[in-house]
Amino acid sequence: MQQHLHQALDAASAAHASYADVRIVVTAAESLSVRGPRVESLDSSEAIGFGVRVLAGGAWGFAASQSLEANEVEVVARRAVEVARASAAFTNRPVELVDEPVHRDSYTTPQRRDPFSVPIDDRVGLLTSATELMMKTPGVYSARGAMDLLRQRTYFASTEGALIDQTILQTGGGIEATAVGDGEVQSRSYPGSSRGGFNTGGYEILQDLDLASHAEVTAEEAVALLQAPECPAKVTTLVLDGHQTMLQLHESVGHPTELDRVLGMEAALAGTSFVGLQDIGRLRYASEAVNITSDATAPGGLGTFAYDDEGVAAQCVDLVRDGVLVGLQTSRETAGKIGAVRSNGTMRAEGWENFPLIRMTNVNLLPGEGSLEDLLADVDDGIYMATNRSWSIDDKRKNFQFGCEIAWEIKNGRLTRMFKNPRYTGITTEFWGSCDAVAGSAAWAMRGTPNCGKGQPGQTMRVGHGTAPTRFRGVSTGVSR
Amino acid sequence: MTRPIRSGELPSHEEVRGAVEAVLGLDGADGVEVVFSSSSIGLTRFASSQIIQNTSRRELQATVKVAVDNRIASAATNQLHQEHLLSAGARALAAARCVPPDEEWPGLTSPQETGSPRPIERYDEQTAGSTPLDRAARVGTMLAAAPGASVAGFYETGSHAYAVLSSKGVDCYDRFSRCAATTLVDLSGATGWGEGSSHDCSVLDVEHVAQTAARKAKTSSEAIPLVPGRYTVVLEAPAVGTLLEFFAYSGFGAKQVIDKESWLAEHMGERAAAPSVTIADDARHRASVGIGFDFEGVAKKRVVIIDAGRVIGPVTDRRTARALGSVSSGHASGSDEFGPYAFNVVMEPGDKSIDELTASVTDGVLVTRFHYVNVLDRPLALLTGMTRDGTWRIRNGQVAEPLTNLRFTHSVPELLGAVTGVGEELVCMAPEFGSFGSTAVPALASDGFCFTSTTSH
Repeated sequence: MQQHLHQALDAASAAHASYADVRIVVTAAESLSVRGPRVESLDSSEAIGFGVRVLAGGAWGFAASQSLEANEVEVVARRAVEVARASAAFTNRPVELVDEPVHRDSYTTPQRRDPFSVPIDDRVGLLTSATELMMKTPGVYSARGAMDLLRQRTYFASTEGALIDQTILQTGGGIEATAVGDGEVQSRSYPGSSRGGFNTGGYEILQDLDLASHAEVTAEEAVALLQAPECPAKVTTLVLDGHQTMLQLHESVGHPTELDRVLGMEAALAGTSFVGLQDIGRLRYASEAVNITSDATAPGGLGTFAYDDEGVAAQCVDLVRDGVLVGLQTSRETAGKIGAVRSNGTMRAEGWENFPLIRMTNVNLLPGEGSLEDLLADVDDGIYMATNRSWSIDDKRKNFQFGCEIAWEIKNGRLTRMFKNPRYTGITTEFWGSCDAVAGSAAWAMRGTPNCGKGQPGQTMRVGHGTAPTRFRGVSTGVSR
Repeated sequence: MTRPIRSGELPSHEEVRGAVEAVLGLDGADGVEVVFSSSSIGLTRFASSQIIQNTSRRELQATVKVAVDNRIASAATNQLHQEHLLSAGARALAAARCVPPDEEWPGLTSPQETGSPRPIERYDEQTAGSTPLDRAARVGTMLAAAPGASVAGFYETGSHAYAVLSSKGVDCYDRFSRCAATTLVDLSGATGWGEGSSHDCSVLDVEHVAQTAARKAKTSSEAIPLVPGRYTVVLEAPAVGTLLEFFAYSGFGAKQVIDKESWLAEHMGERAAAPSVTIADDARHRASVGIGFDFEGVAKKRVVIIDAGRVIGPVTDRRTARALGSVSSGHASGSDEFGPYAFNVVMEPGDKSIDELTASVTDGVLVTRFHYVNVLDRPLALLTGMTRDGTWRIRNGQVAEPLTNLRFTHSVPELLGAVTGVGEELVCMAPEFGSFGSTAVPALASDGFCFTSTTSH
């Protein structure tokens, strides 16, 4: 691979690029879906390709190809420079990169068992043992299971001398039961929606989920939801489970603190941010109970790595400290805009074919104290919502509305009757300002969302979030129509 | 070994045939199907009135599906060479031998079932061959349309080829080109939007796209909030397109109907929408950008989902068609897990200009487009999302004061049931994510649209 890396860099330099980096990415993925006892799909894929990113005339250019044959590497590198020169005609301010130490290193995700080496029938059995159990629950219409494996090896080199060989392994899966009523469908999933729970690591992640032992309650809750009353519309105390806290954190803290959004670079598609550069160190984003980090070094997260896709070493930085905004997620191009001398390492690309963007690594809500039961105990009247079902937020990341799979009424510190179709809405800083408790380390877990979309062409990124159950006061629930 | 494909060009039908020939005869397999896709795309993004990202990429994928009796599995590679395809075939074969039999699998498509698909060839050489300088020139035109403003958006050109070949003799190939442009103009926080898409860059007027955005931005300043509630709305085509994309996603496929997750399931045959509403999936429509077959090699039929307000039915693939006792409409998505998909939704235009639609409203809201729409309830087709980049009050048939953005929580069937007018201009939109498919819709007016909250910008 080193030969191809040097070919690309040499060709870009010969075409007068002032900077170039190249990533060769080798990917293996497997996706398994079952429905009851039947395998609905079993797909594997292998891919290889490379992308060359250059600066020429003060502007970025990027070109990529899946072919490492013949002179394709040099052709693509020269094309990247051609693209950059076309960009330069409409670039007002030349791109400047902050410094990063030159890294020559390798890294592999720690794992106990390679999931690709597990026999297929064992993997099928792990899912169908749970889905067949779910189908035994009266009223269950369908029981699905999913498992996704991804191994991605990236060779990175730059004209500054960086040379990095990094292999990331991500594993995850889950189960879902669906019950069908009169014009109504209700689903429950474990350990989360959108195909389950995902982390970096090996097959041990799936074994530790113990899907079969959660099958029965998952199925029973799906059926029970059909008979449950609608979640009431009122202003009340809201307790979120760790899964929904993950999506809340993702949409209303993770995205608005991406510096490219703050600078308007994502304006046309995903929107910008209500956060301004002047807000760093000043904006009260949340209550004092809230501390949030961007941490690519945290074990097990989907954003856990040693180096980002522009060769910056993984870091843990504060975004919100004691409720105050203190940092943003940056890149080598943008860090200088907030006076930073170094990127905090959040540039990531989907595959070889995409230009790296600022993407969340692991944006974590740090644990507080106590258990979920402790959070509930301090609620006379409220609602507990679990497992994200839908999400929507405006183009500045302020007005949001979330839906969950299930909720329970909280009365005098205890969960009572079940509600279906729970939803809540709010404004970001008001909502986080109403947070008065985050559960402690024992209830905290590293979770992941594997389907975060951003950029044009659209890129899907896998993002980690460490969360625990969290409590908010005075929230509007049960959005009425 | 097949010859390498030259940089930038899409593999031809003959090249694909030559590459996959060996894997179609894979030893030990009872049947083999290869779904091939390839694209060459250039995309130039701009923000703050300058180019910020500029990419050129070429990619391909061949997915080899192998059947051993009725046990099936697939494996994909992004290298169009016999050794890689045979390796993928071997992986799929090994996997197929390990999975339980699939009693509902309809088998590989026979040539008699395909309906002899004809390529649509919505392909324009100039669009496919656009260079970085060509794209930069178009971006320059868009930036020039809004001097003094902060302008963002993208301009994309590209070409795409698809093929399905099988050991049973299925052999089809099609290609299309696409150009697409969006522009967001920001005048001190007042924003406006324009977009357009076509298979032919010579008919995509990027200056008009940018001027539309600039005009909207100029009339969006000093927006005020609206009390949430139900209002008559005039939705411009981008807003309608987003809602219909999500309506299609949440229930135009037969698998969702069979699983009762689709709104269609409980309303088949009913007159549930206004008589002016006809929605179809039609890859061959003049406004669509698509291919002539699905990912089982079956010819794409025009499928009417709603005909003059009456609910007709979903799109099918071979598996769901068998379950419904019909034949495939040619909408296999390539995913047995998701089932068939309506990739080329077309809503028939009406006879009203946007001014006439607005003039018909005494008190209402004009919406340019929606942002971050999501499904709250599939069987109800209940959606939520925000307005953005141009929302105004309509008073006495005239566009009045600009409004801060609004969140809606509303079902698409309810919207379609209350339609009072349909626009005359059909606008083709590229998908927000991915490159496959298109949505062609007019503007419309509808009563009782539910806005549930507001925001401060």
